[in-house]
Amino acid sequence: MPNPYIPMLTIIKSIVSENQANDIKTLELEFKNEEDYNKFNYIPGQFAEISLIGKGESPIGIASSPTEEGTIKFTIKKMGTVTSGFHDCNIGDVIGVRGPFGNGWPVEDMKGKDIVVIGGGFAFSTLRSLITYLLNENHRKDYEKITVIYGNRDPGEVLYRDILEEWKKHDNIEVVLTIDREVEGWKDKVGFVAPIVKEVGPSSDNAIAVVCGPPIMIKTTIAVLEELKFKDEQILNSLEMRMKCGIGKCGRCNIGNKYVCIDGPVFSLAELKKLPAEY
Amino acid sequence: MKDIELKNQEIENTIKDLAKNLLKDRKVDMIIGYTKGTVPLSSSPIFITREEDIDKLIWNNLCYANLAKYLAPRGPILYNKEGQEIKVGIIAKGCVGRAIIHLTVENQINLENIKMIGILCNGIINRKRIEKEIGEREILETSVMGKNIIVKGCDFEETFPFDDYMNELCKKCKVKSPPKVADSCVGECLESPPLIEDDFNDISDFESKTSEEKWDLIKETLSTCTRCYACREACPMCYCSLCFVDQNKPIWFGKTTDFTDIFAFHFNRAMHLAGRCVACGACSSVCPMGIDLNFITRKLEKIVKEKFNFTSGIDKETLPPMMTFRMDDNEEFMMEED
Amino acid sequence: MQEMILMKDQVAKLFTELSEEYNVFAPIKDNGYIAYRKITNVEEIEFDYFNSKIPPKEILFPQMEVLFEYKTDGKNVIEIEDRKDLDEKNLLFGIRPCDAHSFVLLEQFFAFGNYQDEIFLKKKENSIIVGIGCNSPKSTCFCTSVNGYPFQKDDMDIFLVDLGDKYLVEAVSDKGRELIQRFAWLSKASKADVKKGQELAKKAEDLITTKLDLTNTSECLESNFSNKIWEEISENCLGCGSCSFLCPTCTCFDVIDENAQYENRGRRIRIWDTCQFCLYTLHTSGHNPRNSSIERCRNRVLHKFSYYPINYGLIGCVGCGRCIQACPVNNDLREIIKKINNIKTKEEENIIA
Repeated sequence: MPNPYIPMLTIIKSIVSENQANDIKTLELEFKNEEDYNKFNYIPGQFAEISLIGKGESPIGIASSPTEEGTIKFTIKKMGTVTSGFHDCNIGDVIGVRGPFGNGWPVEDMKGKDIVVIGGGFAFSTLRSLITYLLNENHRKDYEKITVIYGNRDPGEVLYRDILEEWKKHDNIEVVLTIDREVEGWKDKVGFVAPIVKEVGPSSDNAIAVVCGPPIMIKTTIAVLEELKFKDEQILNSLEMRMKCGIGKCGRCNIGNKYVCIDGPVFSLAELKKLPAEY
Repeated sequence: MKDIELKNQEIENTIKDLAKNLLKDRKVDMIIGYTKGTVPLSSSPIFITREEDIDKLIWNNLCYANLAKYLAPRGPILYNKEGQEIKVGIIAKGCVGRAIIHLTVENQINLENIKMIGILCNGIINRKRIEKEIGEREILETSVMGKNIIVKGCDFEETFPFDDYMNELCKKCKVKSPPKVADSCVGECLESPPLIEDDFNDISDFESKTSEEKWDLIKETLSTCTRCYACREACPMCYCSLCFVDQNKPIWFGKTTDFTDIFAFHFNRAMHLAGRCVACGACSSVCPMGIDLNFITRKLEKIVKEKFNFTSGIDKETLPPMMTFRMDDNEEFMMEED
Repeated sequence: MQEMILMKDQVAKLFTELSEEYNVFAPIKDNGYIAYRKITNVEEIEFDYFNSKIPPKEILFPQMEVLFEYKTDGKNVIEIEDRKDLDEKNLLFGIRPCDAHSFVLLEQFFAFGNYQDEIFLKKKENSIIVGIGCNSPKSTCFCTSVNGYPFQKDDMDIFLVDLGDKYLVEAVSDKGRELIQRFAWLSKASKADVKKGQELAKKAEDLITTKLDLTNTSECLESNFSNKIWEEISENCLGCGSCSFLCPTCTCFDVIDENAQYENRGRRIRIWDTCQFCLYTLHTSGHNPRNSSIERCRNRVLHKFSYYPINYGLIGCVGCGRCIQACPVNNDLREIIKKINNIKTKEEENIIA
């Protein structure tokens, strides 16, 4: 077996600035070695450890869907040393990739159900992967109604504007966008995510709710979902933790006896309630 | 001259009385002191909030921790559940008192909430030196009798002269009780900022070495450092929320056990302690690898005393040399020779 | 296979025959304490020892280790070089049963799941453990409380008993048997030798005075996560790495990239880390799930006595007692376990942490 700490080399094919503040960018990576790309079989919700070799590594959720062939995409927010380094990169630069890691969204178990995708802010990254996957012509028929509710602080923070516009045009998916406070020119909803979810009122009957966002948004949204009679097993969350190795060896991402990098990052609310509140 | 163990017993009785009264009269909400260790050559810091636990307090020559560490800003001990600062009584040998005063000068603690239960410390046993001399045999019991430290195992008994087997820093200690500041001290204390006279002849051996010999000694002493940071965590002056060695924007020094990294950590930490270290020796007492940092501490203390005429933690008014400048500061070392 | 005898003055001969093929690690004296180091000369070996300060896990899982090296063109990486020394053979001499057991725990941990730590596992595969029984355990030893005992040989390849001027040599694994058979000059052990070995075993087991009752501990820990007792247990903890770094089963590490900037090369290394450091779980956003010593101390104890049993069916502690000796504030694990076992009620005073 190979050394699991050695990254595969990729080249940056394109860089897209996703928000007005210009601190969130999507990097599109192409594997230098085709064999590596062929081995990189992932499902939505998984993450990879991407390196600026010499600076460090970061665990980033994969933003592209496996149905988008040829390259993989990562949406990175400029936060610390390594992520700032990614923001200084140019097309053609070499990025190391290790992965795919984590359990991903349970796309098999979600078949035949209504899917309610609720995202807040920057956490929409792996939800983009999920929705793209669900909408793919080979998969759409496996799932029932798809509802997307995506909230942000202001219009400048909305990620993936192009793809959101495209989705809105489809009649096989309902997309509801919302911002925290009224802004001139904004045509969609206004309000925090939780009350908008209440307003949209998705049915909990044979449904799975996928919730991703800042802790306060998750807390309030879960409260609304519980009011709407969603059971704990029907609510899925993707957790963030400090990670280094991504493969359950360095120890730091543990919650109880589980490691977020191998047993997660996707946990149902039922599973989370069994774990100690250390996240 | 009373025997050490009798003095210790007296001190212990006084501590218990004073602590009990402070708690009873609600002058403090908590007492920080030492209790008996579960293994020989050790003691354990204890936090007492109930009168009935006062008997757990001890005093002996193995009370090596610097309790002022628990007062430093990171310590949650100082706040009650409502987030209000509580009043604390703290068993203070001289160096603990010095640390408290210095932390006050650095604006890190509120002296009004601290009551120092001052004691006249007669020195701390150099536990690592004794451990190394006993070697692989197990120590089952230690005691001080007369002028000696008695160390017993299951098939041996050895005697060490107390004066020689004290911590190196304790041998040259000039501040055996906490200096009195306002009414923060009950018990034994030094009345006015004591006049510190020190010939520093304990490091003359080190100073007389050539650069190569010094380097070899430093390398030999520090080579087994495992970067556990017990020294840093035991030091009351190391209270930075992000230590220089943990910073990564940029990474200043490496965290490995390569000697260049080990040297960088210890010597930079020493620089950060110039004019702040209170020579308590806790760093050396807690090191799991038995590294004795006293030669660094003492040399630093000498330089600060000679260049700035400053000793840390003896009065509340004088600012430490690295935190201020005076018009009469020594500038010779900066000037080129004509 | 019949037990053999290795006279202590024959160890030099053994070493000469082995040193061509193996990196031999043995206990030496370094700065006053015992350490397992690679030896080049049999004179370096310290035969009269209790145990090392730093456990022998550092032979196969050192404090600092290279994960891979790389070359750049000044800006971007152009080549990655894997470790080339993992196929070297190692002989670990004089390992105590507690430490030998720790290698089982380490192997279990590093091999678990979809991704295995090849670096450690390859080295372990190429290593042979020559262990030795403990004739005089210390009062802080409690291997018998964690399914071990002073003369346990299951986790070794070859088992030695120190009979004074000679060692009783016993093959435990096939690897061990093969190695012993190479040394035709070893004499056979007499019945008296074997009997003496058994007597020493019995004597050693009687010397273990610390006995912890761990039957209900895992359950107590699970059902008392928020109990106030953790405040008391953690209040004097300084948050240093002494316990973890000296623990034979602790494996947490940090990953750092080091650049030789002007030479267009660098390496990614790992160094020991510990959940006791306050920065261990700190997110870049500033959020820290384990913000105080309460959560950190609790995590360590739970990890050894609750999470390990749940995940691997093994207790994550080998009873060596190093943490008890090393803790700067004498936070004694034996006292902690006693306090946990004695928690009477669950509803009483739960804290939020």
